[in-house]
Amino acid sequence: MADALHVGVNLDAFSHAISGIQALRSSVSRVFESLKDGMKNRETLEGREKIFISGFQEQLQSVNRDLNELERLSGLVGRPSESHPLHNSGLLSLDPVQDKTPLYSQLLQAYKWSNKLQYHAGLASSLLNQQSLKRSANQMGASAKRRPKVQPSTLVLPPQYVDDVISRIGRMFPDLTIELFRPNGTSAVLLVTLGKVLKAIVVMRSLFIDRTVVRGFNENVYTEDGKLDIWSKSQYQVFQKVTDHATTALLHYQLPQMPDVVVRSFMTWLRSYIKLFQSPCQRCGRFLQDGLPPTWRDFRTLEAFHDTCRM
Amino acid sequence: MGVTCVCQVPVAEGKSVQQSVDIVHKKLEQLGAVKQGSFWVDCETYHPTGNVSGQPSKLLYVMHNSETPLSCMGLFEGGPCLIADANFDVLMVKLKSHFQNAKAHKVECRGSRYRYCDFLIKVGTVTMSSSARGISVEVEYCPCVVPGECWNLTKEFMQSFLGPSVPELPSVFAAKPEGLFAPSDCIDTMTQYLELFNKLRKMQMPGSNVR
Repeated sequence: MADALHVGVNLDAFSHAISGIQALRSSVSRVFESLKDGMKNRETLEGREKIFISGFQEQLQSVNRDLNELERLSGLVGRPSESHPLHNSGLLSLDPVQDKTPLYSQLLQAYKWSNKLQYHAGLASSLLNQQSLKRSANQMGASAKRRPKVQPSTLVLPPQYVDDVISRIGRMFPDLTIELFRPNGTSAVLLVTLGKVLKAIVVMRSLFIDRTVVRGFNENVYTEDGKLDIWSKSQYQVFQKVTDHATTALLHYQLPQMPDVVVRSFMTWLRSYIKLFQSPCQRCGRFLQDGLPPTWRDFRTLEAFHDTCRM
Repeated sequence: MGVTCVCQVPVAEGKSVQQSVDIVHKKLEQLGAVKQGSFWVDCETYHPTGNVSGQPSKLLYVMHNSETPLSCMGLFEGGPCLIADANFDVLMVKLKSHFQNAKAHKVECRGSRYRYCDFLIKVGTVTMSSSARGISVEVEYCPCVVPGECWNLTKEFMQSFLGPSVPELPSVFAAKPEGLFAPSDCIDTMTQYLELFNKLRKMQMPGSNVR
């Protein structure tokens, strides 16, 4: 009821205000009309000026009067719709049958919910940006829009550059033989032979290591049709374990801005397996535990531990 | 094919050969090893009959192994070795005029095969003219190919079920600690078996001429 009354008063004020504007416009146009006509032809120059100035003053006063009147009216009209946070949809609150169509309360709830969602998404995105775990293009998603240059440049490196990095790493470690294959397109697959201990197949995407399989030195790394077998696991339990640990190492060594450092760290870590069968566990001092040698290598110190001794 | 070590296990005091074998089986099973069928290795001795002037006559051993059932290994005493098809036995019969089979010297080793993680263990009874002479244990560590690298590890494993009676690095490997085991694996294993057979033969018949 109060709303309806309020609207009625408003409408009245509106019509008054509109006539006020009309009055103002006509008085202003009268001022310019008289200015355009100039002074009327009279006998004396003084009489002409006197009449013109008094007329002009009178007209300006009426303009002033109309303007004051309009200002008074505009205070009555107020600004109901512009001040509402939901703009025109705020008018839904004027619907008198709240119980049957609770549109307005639903709208408010949806508005609050979307506000909260935006706030939480903002927090999550700033947190995720600190933990740069992005390993593939798919995960970049929204952030790619914001930083269009940094990420793609590391994912789309020229094959020549990848070859250079790999051959430099190969020269760094004499007991590590790295062969590079490109079986499908530009993605490289590395066959890493470590001494006479193991062979590792490392699947790369650009300079990111995507997957790795470790097999024994005397195991076959090629399928029957002569291609690299990047899928089947080793028949020996010790190398299955080493494969698991190598996958852990892939996730540990992450530095998206400098992928070549990551590859080098991974190879340094992998090289510590040269003494897989020779070094005893640094904790229990024994060679075997459950029939397996120390298969874990610490990421920083590269010391050998059994899987259960490393904690 | 990994690194293999063959050694002799002394028969426990007051126990028969079979009882001692059972003790080893039990220890292996307690460790968690799983039985996987059986195995056999045999060895026949041939005397050269022809007189080659100026050369000492060498014995020829012809051996078979159930791991390589289609092959036949010929080993000259301290000399060259060869791996041949199973037909080699027939050839030896044809060469009767040059090599004579010493039937009494035939040695056999039969027993069970166990698997524990990446280890392959074969516990066998060595018999010579149908009498049990001793116990052999063969341990193979499959993932490794360099004997010198995994010897300490293999030794620790053997100690876990044989106790203190673990041998030193087999002499076959002493000559090539860094060398690859794989290409001649069968010969290395058979040489160790031959050494073991000869040792048992001499032990049982002290002073008598084995030849």
